[in-house]
Amino acid sequence: MRYVLLLLLSGLAACVQPRNEAGPSMMGYAPVYLTGQTSNNIGMSAARATKYPGKIYAYQQWLFQVEQYRGIHIIDNSNPQQAHKMGFLEIPSCTEIAIKANHLYTNNLDDLVVFDISNIGAPQLVKRLDGAFPQFSQEYPPVPSAYFECPDPSKGLVIAWEEKLLDNAKCRR
Amino acid sequence: MKQQIIVLIAAIILFGCEKAAENASFSAGGNGTGGSMARFTIVGNHLYTVDKSNLKVFEISDPAQPVFKRSVPVGFEIETIFPFKDKLFIGSTSVVHIFSIADPANPQKQGEAISPEFMRRCDPVVAKDTVAYATLRTTGPCGGTRSVLAVYDVRNVQQPVHRNAITLGAPYGLGYTGNTLYVCDQLQGLVVYDITQAYAPVQVNSLLLTGNDFIDVIPFNNLLVAWVSKGMALYNITDKANPAFLTLID
Repeated sequence: MRYVLLLLLSGLAACVQPRNEAGPSMMGYAPVYLTGQTSNNIGMSAARATKYPGKIYAYQQWLFQVEQYRGIHIIDNSNPQQAHKMGFLEIPSCTEIAIKANHLYTNNLDDLVVFDISNIGAPQLVKRLDGAFPQFSQEYPPVPSAYFECPDPSKGLVIAWEEKLLDNAKCRR
Repeated sequence: MKQQIIVLIAAIILFGCEKAAENASFSAGGNGTGGSMARFTIVGNHLYTVDKSNLKVFEISDPAQPVFKRSVPVGFEIETIFPFKDKLFIGSTSVVHIFSIADPANPQKQGEAISPEFMRRCDPVVAKDTVAYATLRTTGPCGGTRSVLAVYDVRNVQQPVHRNAITLGAPYGLGYTGNTLYVCDQLQGLVVYDITQAYAPVQVNSLLLTGNDFIDVIPFNNLLVAWVSKGMALYNITDKANPAFLTLID
């Protein structure tokens, strides 16, 4: 059993491949670290362009798409041919979504949060379960086979990734 | 099996799809429909979530007051969760863990599906009555021999039997409605299969969307909702085999 475990672990470790040396500048992903007030920045704002599209969800006449680590696009699908964004729900570090009975469940940092979306134009935060997801730190970017700057744990938890020109994209997954 | 494949099986949110299709007027008490790459899913009065190693159960009988019930250790590198009837299929990079939720607040592990010839890096997954479809991706640094749409007999969910493997480029999410299966592939685009013969899918179409890769899909009534690299694309699937592009929301 221990042997199997060891094999498994060594296999997983191989999935993050450090490059031998810092190569020339290249496009890659840089970690965004958690800063003090980030988690409080929750709420509805105007529709915005999609930059880091994430998971999708369908509920009644609405569609939802996560903006990875930043929030959720809310889309009016009453007429699919003219489906359009009607707002953006800002939720730092959000990656997931599920909805039941006009209540939207998602993750905000390491908390489970619940929004009442009875009025879709003005979702209300109605519940927060602190520390429901302690493992939320992002170890690698949400893109397969991408080069990225290896996270530095001393700088804090990683809540997002930004694509940019990097000099030190030493990690790859 | 001869091919080096690893299984990630999960089940589509069958109930959500079927219910939505049945109810022209939506009930306020119902839940929505997610994609095949979700880490959150709702079955009845419970929200199930997976993080890297644990399955968590929240009771949501009062939707505004989730109550944490328990955390169940599952394994390493957990990636997706999908309900199928009274089962949860939890995909990891190496093993599919199968839990019973006959007692919804107390998931019980029933078994796991693992391919003896091991290969890392796979992705999600849908299932229906007797069959599960999984995309097994081998691009990237973790190697492998080929990427496939794998077909499994899941009549005994504790011991899925490999029945077929269809070569693809770099497949990601997938979803089905009726006898039509949609698979997202980085090279071929949106690939459409007839699955009237469940274990022998027949490709009937494939579509590209300029400047976009397909990542995941949700068939939702007559609409196919697609996660693409620039956002969300919508297709009319009144004719299931011939998705008609409606709009890109980027």
